[in-house]
Amino acid sequence: MRKTRLNIGLDRFSGLYLWAAFILVFGFWVPDLFLSMSTVHLIASTQAVSAIIALAVLVPMICGQYDLSVGANANLTGMVAIVLQVKQHWPLLPTLLVSIAIGLAVGAVNGFVVVRFRVNSFIATLGMGSVLTALMLLVTNSQDEPVPLSAGWNNMTQYPVFGFQVIIYYLLAIVLIAWWVVEFTPVGRQMRAAGGNPEAARLSGIRINRLSWWSLVAAGGISGLGGILYTSLTGPSLTFGPDLLLPAFAAVFLGSTQLQPGRFNVWGTMLAIFVLATGVEGLQLVSGAVWVGDMFNGVALILAVALAASRRGKPIAVRRRAIKTAADRPQEADDPAPVQDTAQVGRVA
Amino acid sequence: MTSPAVEIRGLSKTFGVKTVLDSVELTVPPGEIHVLLGQNGSGKSTLIKILSGYHHPDPGGMVRVGGHGLQFGSPASSRALGCRFVHQDLGLVESSSVLDNLLIGPGFPTSAGTIRRGAAARVARAALARVGLDTDPAALVGALGSAERTGVAIARAMLAEDGTPPVALILDEPTAALPVNEVDQLLANLRATAATGAAILYVTHYIDEVTGFADRVSVLRNGVLVATWHVPDLDRDRLIHQLIGAELEQVQRLETPHADTRAKPPVLEATSLRAGPLEGLSLDAWAGEVTGICGLTGSGRESLLGALFGARPRAGEVRVAGQVLKPHRTDLAIEAGLAYLPPDRRASGGVMDMTAGENVTLVNLRPFWRRMLLRKKLEKAEVAGWFEKLDVRPKDGISDPLNTFSGGNQQKLLFAKWLRETPKVLLLDEPTQGVDVGAKAELHRQILATAKQGAAVIVSSTDLDELVTLCSRVLVIRDGRILDEIAGDDLTTRTLNRSFHLEPAAAGSSGDEHA
Repeated sequence: MRKTRLNIGLDRFSGLYLWAAFILVFGFWVPDLFLSMSTVHLIASTQAVSAIIALAVLVPMICGQYDLSVGANANLTGMVAIVLQVKQHWPLLPTLLVSIAIGLAVGAVNGFVVVRFRVNSFIATLGMGSVLTALMLLVTNSQDEPVPLSAGWNNMTQYPVFGFQVIIYYLLAIVLIAWWVVEFTPVGRQMRAAGGNPEAARLSGIRINRLSWWSLVAAGGISGLGGILYTSLTGPSLTFGPDLLLPAFAAVFLGSTQLQPGRFNVWGTMLAIFVLATGVEGLQLVSGAVWVGDMFNGVALILAVALAASRRGKPIAVRRRAIKTAADRPQEADDPAPVQDTAQVGRVA
Repeated sequence: MTSPAVEIRGLSKTFGVKTVLDSVELTVPPGEIHVLLGQNGSGKSTLIKILSGYHHPDPGGMVRVGGHGLQFGSPASSRALGCRFVHQDLGLVESSSVLDNLLIGPGFPTSAGTIRRGAAARVARAALARVGLDTDPAALVGALGSAERTGVAIARAMLAEDGTPPVALILDEPTAALPVNEVDQLLANLRATAATGAAILYVTHYIDEVTGFADRVSVLRNGVLVATWHVPDLDRDRLIHQLIGAELEQVQRLETPHADTRAKPPVLEATSLRAGPLEGLSLDAWAGEVTGICGLTGSGRESLLGALFGARPRAGEVRVAGQVLKPHRTDLAIEAGLAYLPPDRRASGGVMDMTAGENVTLVNLRPFWRRMLLRKKLEKAEVAGWFEKLDVRPKDGISDPLNTFSGGNQQKLLFAKWLRETPKVLLLDEPTQGVDVGAKAELHRQILATAKQGAAVIVSSTDLDELVTLCSRVLVIRDGRILDEIAGDDLTTRTLNRSFHLEPAAAGSSGDEHA
């Protein structure tokens, strides 16, 4: 009945088309380099951490809270895991538990500051990001540590399963859990309501403060995990965190224009991560330039938000079109879109 | 004789196969206040958009403004001929002063690039005076009441920048956001504006308060201008008949309070309630009754229901069925059997970009939570039942965002959200504000049915007719306390209106009304 169901989904599935276009273009351009399984494996494993961090951004975003500390949080927990093993000679399991606990604790502090002190989450987590970077430099003494010489530590992410490094399966598991929580549980529905209209949600009996708090704790835990997986996969680095933040936001916003347009959603975010990564990878193979990634992700973030903004109010347009052609629905034919009208008059005045 | 301010001849508009306006003829002479009534979808917005130069009508139609033909599709022509528009969304900047709001469009008087403050204030004061306002131009718009804001918007629309005063002022649903007791002020502003010689076309779907002050009233139904009356000849029943195309079933209030409902203890007991202007107010409500709350803006009426529910901070005790409620904990209030419909749908009622269905089921998702998954089929089936029961249109809109529905249908959906819970106490704040007559009657029927089924209903409203229609007793609030209780045969709009102006000392003697 709805028009959007009949068309080929240029709108909801534009990301898939874009992805196909990237693959075709780079496939013809540099077939030997681009069209190989190793490119597929490379994109899959290098983007697994970005995708996990994007989920960390997504969860509080659905609740209406920004978490800008995910990158710094990942960097801190990842480096703590290194320091504990290399300097303190901790075994793997306690290292992992303590590192993830640090990520969760950071999320809890974020939640405390946002909910109790009523600091806007954008500001609170921006500040927290800086604090965490400082803590990370303190913990590491500003030095890259050597890679821990433990097979378990490396195999944790790099062990191949069906050709892919095992980290991609961790991502899959987290994605499925996030998808389930967001789309198929009452909590997910309540998170959306809290993000959509906090006051209406509160008056519907939803404890929005508690939800916001837990969403930030979840974000902290997920980014902590992401950070550990990063240092296990790629090795220690003092600077990887901030580089993860922007692509994550770009993916979350671009994702909100995909699959379920107008909503931050899990699979849209994943689609966006891999579309962007394919574009970046292809361009780097073609040009060999280092600046491509930053440029591409930055432009993508701005375009994604612009696209999301221009989408707002689209459902009305769809409905109006449907009504104009359906004579059996006399309602509201001329009532929607008062906004347009005011804009019109405003311009004249 | 001078030419009519607005003259519309044979105006039609079709979108695809649907005719939205069908040969509309309308003439409004200068100085007349003409109310154009129509339900949602009657074509009134399209008519306004043609007048403002936004839509092209079908060929053959003609519009003259002040004797000059309007060039269709040209906002500039509409403005040049002297048409001015005030929309429901007034488009004022709340954080700016009245003066800035008035002059930001036409421009400030300047010398060498600097604003001449004195001259600007004079222009602003003159513009305000022309519409009967003596607002201080330095006041912030955000600090003004709704009616005064509408007045400022009118003053801005009527500003004659190049010396020629506007010919026609078209208001689109200006009362939808206006409390009844502030309508008088708007009326005074409109009268003053009409006295300057401008024709006023006042477009609305809200019949009750506007018909009283107009010179003539026209009804638009399904794109056809079905009738025009001079106001003295007006018959309300016939007007409603013309408006909705059928007789409106009369809503009959419940014959309470009587021994039955009062035999049991009250289901809601509030003692020494303090919140905002409320100063130690106490009230009880019984199952099976509809209790009304009336009072002027600022009396505490607007704070009462929110405070009972826990939507706003409160001190004092609230009990539901004997159980004391924690303030601030809306989830516990709902569990105890309270339901609260806030007055502002957009700000606090609904989550506008979630779907209609998701809004209806938001309070309680437990019935659909089976084996670790939300069962969306079950959910949709239940919501479809509510669409049916409350006659929500469009019927197939369950998965459409709430903001694509008309105001009346949004309100029905938010009703469904609470009726689902079969609340013990239903708190309704302005339940039908900005809702068309058809939806209003449906909502009234639902309110009475809910009370009949054993809920205690409390309605806070600025619409006195509504209170008289629904309530078995009405509590009059002034200065944060209950001043009077009016029930039975005493309960008429007249007594309610008078109660606003009673001296507190004389309050007890409201019984001598019918002496």
